[in-house]
Amino acid sequence: MDDGTTATQVVFWVFAVLMLLSAAGVVLAGNIVYAALFFIASLGGVAAIYLILTVEFIALAQVLIYGTAVVILILFALMLTRARERPQALYGHTRPLGVIAALGLLAAFIGGIVSTAWVEPASRAEFIPVSLQDIGDVIFTIWLVPFIVVGVLLSIALDGAILLAGPEGDD
Amino acid sequence: MPPLEHVLVVNAILFCIGVMGVLTRRNAVLILLSVELMLNAVSLNFVAFAVYGKIDFGNITGVVFAFFIIVVAAAEVALALGIVVRTFRNRATANVDEVNLLKW
Repeated sequence: MDDGTTATQVVFWVFAVLMLLSAAGVVLAGNIVYAALFFIASLGGVAAIYLILTVEFIALAQVLIYGTAVVILILFALMLTRARERPQALYGHTRPLGVIAALGLLAAFIGGIVSTAWVEPASRAEFIPVSLQDIGDVIFTIWLVPFIVVGVLLSIALDGAILLAGPEGDD
Repeated sequence: MPPLEHVLVVNAILFCIGVMGVLTRRNAVLILLSVELMLNAVSLNFVAFAVYGKIDFGNITGVVFAFFIIVVAAAEVALALGIVVRTFRNRATANVDEVNLLKW
């Protein structure tokens, strides 16, 4: 039991560090295409952490939606905007302020997390994984109407994207 | 299972990396990638609280929220990239500080 817990923690930290390094690569890479590739690695790390937290369904949705659809959309947008041709001006003049703001926010978050007295979760002693059936039960009973609304929202947004990016009518 | 605090700290770092990207990058597509990083951090947080509180609180609403976040983020990416492609066609740039038509 203790060995299993320690092993899970080691795996968690390996994937967390990989994920954070790739995320830093997204923000810091000098080449836009490299930034997109770092983004794929970062999504993989997030999916691995979902698996460690035992929500296989969300990990699967993450890989299917983010890892394929969103990444392909982004790579297409990079190619269509010919972003690679001007790699010299990747940062605006607000860069120092942005770094300071992000570090301050991080300090505030970590201070809050450390100073909070968390209730010791019972799930640490006996851990019950979230099964696919649990998620289905909740989505198709309590959250049925929001589920349908999200489906309508998705189809409207995709139609709008086609209208936005499609050929222009008059001009 | 890692302790809840460790998961929260990792998510906070991921979120702040995203904030830094949004505030420092110029290219609209890279800003969108950073926003996606922030959304990932938030949905990981939802999942962490749902999983760790499952026995104590008896529901897994956070997992459903993470699912909805992923769906809405997909819609958002499609729309935002449509806007970026359209802007590039009209103004020949994908940098947000060169799109200043609405700037007073």
